[in-house]
Amino acid sequence: MKTLRLVSGYFSHNLMSAMAYRGAFLLQAVGMILNNAMLLFFWWVLFTQLPSLRGWTLNQVMVLYAVVAFGFGLANIVCGNAFLLARIVVRGDLDYYLALPADPLIHLLVSRMSLSAWGDAVFGLVVFFVAGGEAGRHLPLFLLLGLLSGLIIVAFAVLVGSLAFWVGNADNLAGQAINSLITFGIYPIEIFPGVVQWLLYTLIPAAFIGSLPAGLLRDFRWDQLALLFLAAGGLALLARIVFQWGLRRYESGNLVIVRG
Amino acid sequence: MIQGYVSVLLTSARQQWVYRSELVARAVQMVLFMAVFMALWFTAFEVSGQSQLEGYSLAEMVWYLAMTETIVLSSSRIFLEIGEAVRAGDLAYTLARPLSYPFFQVANSLGNSAPRVLLNLLTGAGVVTVGLQQVAGSWPGLVAFLFVAALALLLDALIAVLIGLTAFWIEEVSPVYWIYNKLLFTVGGLFLPLELFPEQLQRAVRWLPFQYITYAPARTFVKFEAGFVAETVAGQAAYIGFFAGLVLLVWARAQRRLVVHGG
Repeated sequence: MKTLRLVSGYFSHNLMSAMAYRGAFLLQAVGMILNNAMLLFFWWVLFTQLPSLRGWTLNQVMVLYAVVAFGFGLANIVCGNAFLLARIVVRGDLDYYLALPADPLIHLLVSRMSLSAWGDAVFGLVVFFVAGGEAGRHLPLFLLLGLLSGLIIVAFAVLVGSLAFWVGNADNLAGQAINSLITFGIYPIEIFPGVVQWLLYTLIPAAFIGSLPAGLLRDFRWDQLALLFLAAGGLALLARIVFQWGLRRYESGNLVIVRG
Repeated sequence: MIQGYVSVLLTSARQQWVYRSELVARAVQMVLFMAVFMALWFTAFEVSGQSQLEGYSLAEMVWYLAMTETIVLSSSRIFLEIGEAVRAGDLAYTLARPLSYPFFQVANSLGNSAPRVLLNLLTGAGVVTVGLQQVAGSWPGLVAFLFVAALALLLDALIAVLIGLTAFWIEEVSPVYWIYNKLLFTVGGLFLPLELFPEQLQRAVRWLPFQYITYAPARTFVKFEAGFVAETVAGQAAYIGFFAGLVLLVWARAQRRLVVHGG
């Protein structure tokens, strides 16, 4: 309950401070919507040459995009610091969170909101309604799948960001790992060879943020949904354990900052 | 005068070489992209059952992408530096230099891009050779590519400086860059050669500057034709002239908005 109050408190506070600079907020969100929309162009042209790609049609690929964009948007709206964890650890900025009574991991994750991520979330929703067709009726399922996809993205970001506890400046490494997750996540998993597919279910869990949820919107199966819940829960738990474990090795920096 | 810009370019190139970890990070990105797209094109050609798509074989399509990615991953990020300098007021001390500020930044940007092009080209070629085990293009194509790619990066640097200068009017310049970047992705032909576009769209995008940055250099490598190279160089020169003029015009206007604080 206390954690929920912390998350919702930060969410409304971050949103209010974004609204103070409405122009910049709108520019970033609209810029991101346009940015994402142009990525769909590639698929549109490719599907003028091919009727389908290993069972995926243009609309199905658009739904896949919608789930990843919505999940990515949610992750960065609520947990805007997830992608910055390695930098926070290396610079010794964790001190601030450790000195307060709230859970340090949750606190640091939710204390920033990415403004452009609103563009991703809105883009995801709009594309889902445009391309979903029959699936458009399954809005609650789409929202749930987006939430699980977002949870996996945050958990993975925490996991790779926590590497900074052991290897020091892991900013680039964490960035590359997150980049791989998203890059592989936005393509149907069936296009990759067998070994790569296996990797995308394990080492870089990209299949769980895009192909698997999009497959559920096309052809719902309880066992696949259970698998997705298991992956999201397991990864979140693992991220939490690794962060706590790393925290024991954390050395404070000598950075003095003033926070409002 | 030109000597001054050349020494800025060489200094920036040397600086880039110092930050090797960032160069390596970009190379990793190249490996990642090429791995994804090689898989995608393998599947697309297999599904289509054809040996060529609009005149491009699988090897040509993959090598085309390696070349466009080489340019895009080496392209200018100078707008970030300019935007920051405008906001923080650091622009003041750079004005004292005996060089034009925007063209100083163009030279700086080209210096940043030069080592990246080399590394990305070697990485891209390495990944494609290992993954595909087929080579496309030709030696004359490679030489022409290097020349056309240099002009493409000059054009890209001018556009990036122009985007950076918009910081005089808007707070955050990144969204303008995202849109430019995605125009390169789409109508610039980053992922797909223009020949694959629907006819009408193809006709329209051939007039735009974006194809001269990505499509034209990559096509020069995979399908070398002297006539096409000449047309490309003429188009690039025209757009370089146009954007250089625009940069001067915008800079003249921007200087009127410049407020230098003491401190």
